[in-house]
Amino acid sequence: MSDGQHNESNDSIFKIAINLAMACFVSGAIIAGVNFVTADAAAQKAEELKNDAMKALAQEADTFTPVDGKEGWFVAEKDGQMIAYIVPAVSKGYGGSINFLVAVTSDGTVIDYDITSHNETPGLGDKFNQEPFKSQLRGKKAENLKVVKDPSDKEHIQAMTGATISSNAAAEGVKKAVEEVVQLMGGK
Amino acid sequence: MKELWSIFSKGILMENPIFVLALSLCPALAVTSSVTNALTMGLTVMFVITVNNMTISLIRNFVNPKVRLPVYIVSIATIVTVAQLVLQAYFPLLYKALGIYLALVVVFAIILARAEVFASKNNVIRSCCDGLGMGVGFAVAMVIIGAVREVFGSGTFLGYHVLPISYDAPLLLILPAGAFIVIGYLIGGARILVNRIEKSKA
Repeated sequence: MSDGQHNESNDSIFKIAINLAMACFVSGAIIAGVNFVTADAAAQKAEELKNDAMKALAQEADTFTPVDGKEGWFVAEKDGQMIAYIVPAVSKGYGGSINFLVAVTSDGTVIDYDITSHNETPGLGDKFNQEPFKSQLRGKKAENLKVVKDPSDKEHIQAMTGATISSNAAAEGVKKAVEEVVQLMGGK
Repeated sequence: MKELWSIFSKGILMENPIFVLALSLCPALAVTSSVTNALTMGLTVMFVITVNNMTISLIRNFVNPKVRLPVYIVSIATIVTVAQLVLQAYFPLLYKALGIYLALVVVFAIILARAEVFASKNNVIRSCCDGLGMGVGFAVAMVIIGAVREVFGSGTFLGYHVLPISYDAPLLLILPAGAFIVIGYLIGGARILVNRIEKSKA
């Protein structure tokens, strides 16, 4: 592959362009082929994953029905009884937007939440999807979903060390979901 | 056989990608705040670098030297994209865990460096050994950095507490700046080790 090896005809700009174009074409063909094979399976898995995520949020529920007129909302039911709303929410964190899926009861109490996508700092901000931070938000109502830095304050949410912005974002996103449910219930 | 072993083993210490060649320091800073992240990234790179080395070695006679770098990049990008599609379809949880890291692998200097320095001049089997060795070296280095940062930065190892809860972890170690300091000391340590080995051989 040294420079002395190739002759002049190899140097023409046309040949070089064809060479690169061929490489890109082969690459495109391989990716298209793989995508053709995996696309269906991927869509199916994504659906399953979403269902699993909802099941994890409202463990007692057995059926999930989409809510009319509310994009991405689901009602979690057990034996025909509604136990929670599954509500998507977005908030802004340290590294861009954070997407939530929050399970809220009809009286506006948080059951659990899951962060479906985020760009927070690994090892710092991303602890908002883990214990012990997560359990702080369970059972809270909208007025208590506020981040404080006083360790003796058990009514509100304790910020994670070194990740105040991410903590705020988590509390805010969950709060938004709760407020939307309260609004929906109040409007009825 | 002995030659293949020496190709494989040089990546682990004597030419370790991070500690000796000092390539791909960016991921070494960015994703080593915990051992799990570091190990995941290390294994991903190991896979991509090995497959890419073999591919480059196979096509090395068809590639025009003037466009070899773009072709290598296309090859790396193809492998990563295919891996992404397959993971998404059959191992969605692993795909979720790898997240942004997988896409980042495309631009790692170490992968392109091995394609250019080794795979474009050697046959498939030798290139495969080189890729595996470099990949293992990279993964080992990542895990060492990750272990230091996780144990002393958050008091845990693989998520389990190894230091008493009362241990007041210095935040610096978790931040990228702390990673730089850790890598600096580790490179120094590796240098001493490599020098010793070279001396004892001579």
